[in-house]
Amino acid sequence: MSDSLLDIQNLSLSFQGLTETVDVLDNINLSISRGERVALVGESGSGKSVIARIILGLLQSQKGAIVKGSVRFRGIELEAATGNQIESLRGREISMIFQDPTSSMNPVYKIGTIFHEILNRGTHNISKKLALIKASKLLEEVSITEFKRVLESYPFQLSGGMNQRVMIALALANKPALLIADEPGTALDVTVQAQTLKLMHNLVKKNNTAVLFISHNLGVVHQFADRVYVIYKGRIVESGSTSSIFENTKHPYTKALMNAVPKITSKSFFDASDDSSLFKQPAFHHKDREIGQ
Amino acid sequence: MKLKIKILLANPLSFMGLLLISLVFGSAIFADFITPFPLHKGAVVDFSNFNQAPNLTNIMGTDLVGRDLFTRIIYAFRISIMLGIVVLIISVPIGVFMGLLAGYSGGKLDFVLMRITDVFLSIPPLVLAMAVMGLLEPTILNGMLAVTAMWWPWYTRLIYNLTRSEKEEGYVVAAEVVGASRWHIMFREILPNCTHAIITKMTLDFGFVILIVSSLSFLGLGVQAPTPDLGSMVAEGARYLPDSWWLTVFPGLAILIIVFGFNLVGDALRDMMDTDS
Repeated sequence: MSDSLLDIQNLSLSFQGLTETVDVLDNINLSISRGERVALVGESGSGKSVIARIILGLLQSQKGAIVKGSVRFRGIELEAATGNQIESLRGREISMIFQDPTSSMNPVYKIGTIFHEILNRGTHNISKKLALIKASKLLEEVSITEFKRVLESYPFQLSGGMNQRVMIALALANKPALLIADEPGTALDVTVQAQTLKLMHNLVKKNNTAVLFISHNLGVVHQFADRVYVIYKGRIVESGSTSSIFENTKHPYTKALMNAVPKITSKSFFDASDDSSLFKQPAFHHKDREIGQ
Repeated sequence: MKLKIKILLANPLSFMGLLLISLVFGSAIFADFITPFPLHKGAVVDFSNFNQAPNLTNIMGTDLVGRDLFTRIIYAFRISIMLGIVVLIISVPIGVFMGLLAGYSGGKLDFVLMRITDVFLSIPPLVLAMAVMGLLEPTILNGMLAVTAMWWPWYTRLIYNLTRSEKEEGYVVAAEVVGASRWHIMFREILPNCTHAIITKMTLDFGFVILIVSSLSFLGLGVQAPTPDLGSMVAEGARYLPDSWWLTVFPGLAILIIVFGFNLVGDALRDMMDTDS
């Protein structure tokens, strides 16, 4: 674990309400090594996206949020890091892909301008011309061949799938060490989603980018991730390599989650026990040899 | 941009508005050439022709000291337009900046800035302007100052509300994630998404600023004689109604033309921007 890129230890989060505090995350431990693809799986409201927001420091400034524990990126404690340190991490070392690609690009700028701004974060005072050339190359990598038209378009003029690919290109533009993908493509239909995920998979493999993949889609996770964390109600309930989790499922919640995927061969809807008292069983951590390169 | 002007011209109402505005601006710019008696803009006395009803030499009649009313109205356009431009140029940036800052920062700064704005908004505009003018001397400059002081809060409120809703948009969060500074997010991400509202409001406001300045002049607190001003001309003529009707009716119509023109264009702009989003 010495060369872990991101190391989250004993992370807890609660929100201070008017009369009571609501616990959202409870003692989360999670680590990602260089170039490793890690998936975080859980149902809606289990705290997946909140973890991403904490890593990026978006939540800490919010009123009423109480964050405890440590988040280390390359050994730097993010909580203690200065504003300058964090600013230099964001967009260069850590980047993020959002659920809805179209709304995460400013509608008043052309794609080319957005690329220019993002690339400017990586290399200061990059000229517009050079930025556009770089952008065309990046777009080619995500299989957009008509990059000239795309660079001249506004985000709302492109389809959702196209925007998602643009988002992937933007997120990987500065060759970040860690990419956080928060349910990418949930807003897209299944075929386009599969296509873009495949693209993303190939690209991060090529660039040796570590990925924190947040999803509720087990099928996608199975194909994409090296290691899986299953989260339920703010607690990690099972963790381990993808193969051991899928082949040797231990925790009742994970089993229920697997059964929830409708099978094309089954005649009726699944009959999973969703007795939540079972899900409170202690977490199970599979003992695997370290993966990660 | 070209397309938008085309749309404006295609709509009969906004076309009329543009026509009225360009008529007013054109006549104000070329006042020296189109007015029959350019000297009458100042302190000139011609008692042989005083208080004449509209006729062929003085198409809108003459005032109480014999000056051509048409000439004075055209020159009064100049003052009105200048006032409108200056007031908006000063108050809009102040209001927009305050709104962006309060809306994006939130917290204590938001509270302080917006309560200051509320204080300004709670005073009836004309009363505030009159108070400022009463405190200072009634000159054009102070008039502009007074109207500016009452105008910026409306922009603060508008931009504040827009910023509050834009701030939750995905692209603002995305900009925060890539490490954009708060100034970058305020001015380069949020502000461009507010320009449509600002432009529309400015167009509508141009007419209202002129109306307010005319009201101040009507009360004797605005532009002072001998500088021609539509408001003070109406005030002066009102004492001689209904016999010397031209003294009031023509300056009043002039105010109507300006405000009406800007309102028509403003409304059309608002409709146009609405369909955009």
